[in-house]
Amino acid sequence: MQPTSGELPEMNNLNPLVSLHDSQMSTSSHFDPTSSHDDFLDQMFSSVPSSASSFPWPDDHAPPPPCHLEDQSTALLVSKLRQQQISNGAAKALLLQHQLMLSRGLAVDDLHSPFGADIEFLNVPHADQDDVVDGSCYKSANLDHEASIKALFNGFTGSIGHSSNQPQHLLHSQDGALHSQKFGGPAVPEMNQPAASGTSGGGTAGQPKQRVRARRGQATDPHSIAERLRRERIAERMKSLQELVPNANKTDKASMLDEIIDYVKFLQLQVKVLSMSRLGGAAAVNPLVPDISSEGGRNGNGTQTALSSNNDGMTVTEHQVAKLMEEDMGSAMQYLQGKGLCLMPISLATAISTTTCRTRSHHPLASASNNPLNSEAAGPTSPSMSALTVQSATIAANGGGETSLKDVNSVSKP
Amino acid sequence: MTSDHISSLRNPSSIKTRFAHRFVLALKKLSMDRASSSVSMADRYKRYRKVRAAAYASMASSVGPKRAWARALLRKIRNRKMGSNLMKRLGSRTGLLKKRTVLKPRNHREMGSEQENSLRELVPGGEGMEFYRLLNETGHYIKCLRAQVKVMKNIIDLYSN
Repeated sequence: MQPTSGELPEMNNLNPLVSLHDSQMSTSSHFDPTSSHDDFLDQMFSSVPSSASSFPWPDDHAPPPPCHLEDQSTALLVSKLRQQQISNGAAKALLLQHQLMLSRGLAVDDLHSPFGADIEFLNVPHADQDDVVDGSCYKSANLDHEASIKALFNGFTGSIGHSSNQPQHLLHSQDGALHSQKFGGPAVPEMNQPAASGTSGGGTAGQPKQRVRARRGQATDPHSIAERLRRERIAERMKSLQELVPNANKTDKASMLDEIIDYVKFLQLQVKVLSMSRLGGAAAVNPLVPDISSEGGRNGNGTQTALSSNNDGMTVTEHQVAKLMEEDMGSAMQYLQGKGLCLMPISLATAISTTTCRTRSHHPLASASNNPLNSEAAGPTSPSMSALTVQSATIAANGGGETSLKDVNSVSKP
Repeated sequence: MTSDHISSLRNPSSIKTRFAHRFVLALKKLSMDRASSSVSMADRYKRYRKVRAAAYASMASSVGPKRAWARALLRKIRNRKMGSNLMKRLGSRTGLLKKRTVLKPRNHREMGSEQENSLRELVPGGEGMEFYRLLNETGHYIKCLRAQVKVMKNIIDLYSN
């Protein structure tokens, strides 16, 4: 699909057109019968290999009447073209013709070579024409493909000496075909740069601006193209990852990667904490069973009795923890974590407990999952938030000490 | 509550259900094997390690062999398990096993930024792949980790209420 040398590269563009044309002709109904079009195309292909000089532009050949053209600029160009062909001969005529086609964003590089004209020669006058043509051509940027195909076929019309009505009928049928062609179009000029720039040194700079062009110096290097593709793929991937990870304001790749890394670490930490907690059923939970049953019973009672019973249940653990704390804080923390508990400053504990007690009084049977403090970071919360689930508001109102023990489902991130 | 959960399963063979199934089975096995409640730190630590390994192993096996990180994770767990077993019996033969994990080609590690390397460490099996593939695997890994956390939380709630 990418013509690298200029044998007859425009054939590649037109061949799919031809095949689609044939298939569409039978279904569409706007235009003349098939046979004449086939003849037209055959003639077109037979005459294309001929050199530039052999393009006869007979004066009696009627130009496409302005009423068929939808754009003033195209009319301007065509009139210029005919003037040129009358006065100068093939070279400049071709040039303007190319301008026409370029204005439609077609892959004109394909058309350079079969005309046999010197590409360098063509490029130099481009610079002159650029200012004049580009201004008008920009207006036509929004033209649909019919006009572009018209321009394409108009170029061939002269050589074949057909009337101009036929190409327009052809164009209607080729609409769909060229839609897909057009997408290949912007890519193809890029790929054709290697061929063109080989002959024209300043080719990249000298191309008209409407075309999508590769950046200077990069087009010739297949490595850089591969690099660019790779980077695009990676950027795509990062975007899809961005939706997975909660803090998704992608400023740049590095910060996004940091977010991803932090999120993975956070999830792994959650798994670790959850596997530390009271899993494995009752076997692991024996020392805390009295606590659970007292929790269940407490909801109906006042807090006083609950506290006392809780205190009994907690005493053993407390003593254990106090002992451990004398030696080493870390081991104390680990012991607590093994039980599914954590240490927290008493101010925070009182704050949580008051909130919990308020809700509990309203909903005595509220389970832990309905607890408003259940701010487990299961959903998209930031890993830096501390997450606590208060299973029960067993407040150690044993005022002494700076710690209070609560049953927690998961432990806050240190 | 259990029956409600099961009857309302939308996708009976989703990753979550498969994982939940395997994980609960593994937990059952674990709790039957070891002795009843051990207060000592070392025992608790060991149990925690086993539970965590069971969680990851059941996750990886329910994902299937198609994902590179799942395969690598299973391999790691089995190596560790075999390593600890061998250590108990043979004593000093674990040097061999350690080499197994470093077989991957190094070229993927030299290139790449610091973050890329840390991501490689985090995602199981991330050492031997190129960056684009690493991103793919990370995405899937994150999805599965989230599912795992949700299921584990539900199991805990179930058992503690």
